[in-house]
Amino acid sequence: MAAKEEEHWVDAARRGDRAAFRHLVEAHTCALFTVCVRITRDAALAEDAVQEALFSAYRHLANFDGRSAFKTWLHRIAVNAALEQLRRRHGEEINDSDLGNSDDEEDFLLSRIAETPSPGQHARGAEIHRRVDAELARMTVIERTAFVMRHAEGQSLDDISRTLSINISACKQAIFRAVRKLRGALQPLR
Amino acid sequence: MKTIESDNPPVPISDNDLILYFYRDGLSAERMVEIDNALFVQTELRRRYTELQRLLHEVDCAPVQEPDAQLTQRVWNKLSVRIEAEPVRAQSLKRWLTLWHTQPPRFRAYVTAGLLVAACAIGFYAGRHNAVPSNDAAQARTASARLLDAYVADHLRSTEGLLLTAANTNSNELDAGNRELAAALVESNRLYALAAARSGNARLGDFLRQLEPVLLELANRPADAPIESREGLREYLRKTDLLFQVRATQARVDPANRHRT
Repeated sequence: MAAKEEEHWVDAARRGDRAAFRHLVEAHTCALFTVCVRITRDAALAEDAVQEALFSAYRHLANFDGRSAFKTWLHRIAVNAALEQLRRRHGEEINDSDLGNSDDEEDFLLSRIAETPSPGQHARGAEIHRRVDAELARMTVIERTAFVMRHAEGQSLDDISRTLSINISACKQAIFRAVRKLRGALQPLR
Repeated sequence: MKTIESDNPPVPISDNDLILYFYRDGLSAERMVEIDNALFVQTELRRRYTELQRLLHEVDCAPVQEPDAQLTQRVWNKLSVRIEAEPVRAQSLKRWLTLWHTQPPRFRAYVTAGLLVAACAIGFYAGRHNAVPSNDAAQARTASARLLDAYVADHLRSTEGLLLTAANTNSNELDAGNRELAAALVESNRLYALAAARSGNARLGDFLRQLEPVLLELANRPADAPIESREGLREYLRKTDLLFQVRATQARVDPANRHRT
């Protein structure tokens, strides 16, 4: 949906036009599901999160001030909805212990890597993806969420720290740890 | 830690720096230029960066669960039912709140006092007439309990927003708005606590009474409150689990949630 067109639908939806809101729902549901499923790792939870996020967006359309893109605003709501679903279903909380220690300073990228991947390594692509997926699932909620928001959603550290109610330094550490864990998952294959 | 080989004093560039460099975020412009230059002259640094790119590329290639074809329709079907139920309640509440907040404080105080007296009288009357109620009376009581639940759910939603903003914002502007909201919520909180107790919902009444000191604290927070007071609030919220309780109570009393289940 083009930016101008979206602006039109958002304005109309703010005035109570349900058809306009439906346009927005149709335009964003799949992308919201993708971000939610990346965080929750569960399709049913992700769908519930999308449902809650869109309802919350509908109720708070008046608060959308247009300073950020509608998509960014909506995705921020969806991330919180996904975290809320995890908290409700599994009792997972974003808390201090999730933030971990900030002493992962040692470099890790060059440990045991091959110069170039061999054909055999290429053939193991599916196995790499399985391990990446497993590692994403094993990350703490905050590591995974911060990483997904930065890497897949392209959100700034500033926005991520605001969404997750943590400071920038903690946000960076969460992303560093996420990347470190992913690197660890690939190591035996290199 | 690796260092750049140059005439200048060595500048350590860690893998964490490279991660921030990859995302072009969280580094100063000077640091970005330093890393740019170092990548140009440093073979080993380039290898580390290439490895990072390769790693993150693998993440991009990892399959993500796709939504099924009916997802949007399913979401909209449920959503439209909730939206259908929303406007009447939300708009009437908004109108009521707008009207309420435009009245002079003394008028609001009189009306609140009047409502409290009425609530007490109803409670007293109901207590004295404990015979089996007629169907009409029972239905009326159920309807009024639902109405109270709807108002309390909205009140708790506002309270949750207030607590989150107070704990997480560093903006004086937001703080000022939050103080006004807290002051408004104190009054309605008292009213709802009493109404809940009178309607026999002691649990809800007790919970709302627990909220009052926090609301008062936020309503009277000085504009130049030090950072410690915000940290203190965060700590208090964490220790008491108050936010969770507010959300849980809101979810419990919200009639919209009952429609869903």
